[in-house]
Amino acid sequence: MKKILLAALMATLSACGTVQQPVNTNSASTSPMKFPCLSYSLSCGEIPVRKLVNKQLSGELSGNSEEGRNIAFTKTRGNCLACHRMKGGTQPGSRGPDLTSYGNLGRSDAETYALVYDMRWRSPDTLMPPMGTNEILTEQEIRDVVAFLQSSK
Amino acid sequence: MLSLSSSLRNRGRIMKILTLIAVTALHAISYPALAETDFNTHPRFDIDPKLGVAGDFSGTYKYWKDTQAIEQFASIQTNSDNEWKMNGKNMDIVEDDFHPGHLAVDEGEKLVNLWEHREAGFKSCLGAGTTTLEGIAANYPMYDAKLGKVLTLEARIEHCAKKVLWQNFKQGSPVNASIALYLKSLSDGLPIQVDVDSGPMKEAYLRGETLFYKRIGQLNFACASCHTPGSIMGNRLRGEVPSTPFGDVSHYPTYRSPVGEVEVLHKRFMRCLKQMRAKPLKPGDPAYVDLEVFYTSMSNGYPIKAPSIR
Repeated sequence: MKKILLAALMATLSACGTVQQPVNTNSASTSPMKFPCLSYSLSCGEIPVRKLVNKQLSGELSGNSEEGRNIAFTKTRGNCLACHRMKGGTQPGSRGPDLTSYGNLGRSDAETYALVYDMRWRSPDTLMPPMGTNEILTEQEIRDVVAFLQSSK
Repeated sequence: MLSLSSSLRNRGRIMKILTLIAVTALHAISYPALAETDFNTHPRFDIDPKLGVAGDFSGTYKYWKDTQAIEQFASIQTNSDNEWKMNGKNMDIVEDDFHPGHLAVDEGEKLVNLWEHREAGFKSCLGAGTTTLEGIAANYPMYDAKLGKVLTLEARIEHCAKKVLWQNFKQGSPVNASIALYLKSLSDGLPIQVDVDSGPMKEAYLRGETLFYKRIGQLNFACASCHTPGSIMGNRLRGEVPSTPFGDVSHYPTYRSPVGEVEVLHKRFMRCLKQMRAKPLKPGDPAYVDLEVFYTSMSNGYPIKAPSIR
């Protein structure tokens, strides 16, 4: 009996372990309190917009384009489709540039990575959310999105 | 000799300074926007509060300015890329026969009469002195000198419930929304008339305008990111096309068919903020009051539509 209990306990513990592991898969759960808000009394009312980051790509891109497409199309993740036409995407937005054949433009991985990370260093008044600076996507997720863009031909 | 070398040294210094100035100037020329950009705000658009709804900056006012225009254009703006130009006002004539918004009006009327019967004085508090409630909603938000603050219609209801009835009709609650919609229906068809020329109302307007352009939330959007010319307004944002903020206030509180409830303006603000991944504030928050004053001035002169459905 004790053995069974112990086994059950071990199973529960290891299950807990696996549940807690994935930390940086999706940043969409980041607390809104970490960003500016309209309030006159809450602390978020005093937070300034995050400073722009001109992020350099270090090492090889090593992005997964399949995963990148998944990120780009999912509303709770990158949601690039909200504003851009993208290869294979349905119901796209129309405000941003058409990205369906981005891979033909000949832009480097490094430039693309830096622009997705924070578009403001190129266009200060841009409407595009700074995906990296504001932790909307993780660095690996941005690598995946860049891989998807470069594979869009 | 000594004076010559010193003047040469000076010339060298001057050249150095000139080069420095030139380089700085070049730098500023190559990154002009970056140097000038305030990342905390969306670029401002000139809005003249005196023009009210006619100051609409989207170029769509002509399609929804009155019933005649709505009837004329509703049939030709049906394709999904042009629908936004009707600013939703076609719903006011097409879907108006019967919807649950009418039930909420009846509910609100019952509540007001019931509570007036229990505690005489509720109506005159709602009317700020008069018991004639027809037409009062067209002048909200307003500055109440006795209370020393700007009140929205929902704030007035909450205040009177507390003061006269000892009840908590919290803003955003169904009871408060029903009464607000009932009062608004008593001003149906009347043009919104809110004075933001001077005093506390002007101050609220200016604060509200600033909030409209403030970049907030994880997505770094301002209200203006979706509702000014050159922004996402008029463009597809996946399944939707954001429209002009002018004329919007006139049909609130509105029965929202996708949500299945009467939605007050502050609840609509909450929904926007959640979509922007910003901290949503509660109905009645002072920031919402300022934003409502700003928004209402953009509906000045436009007739109230209550009840309505969206």
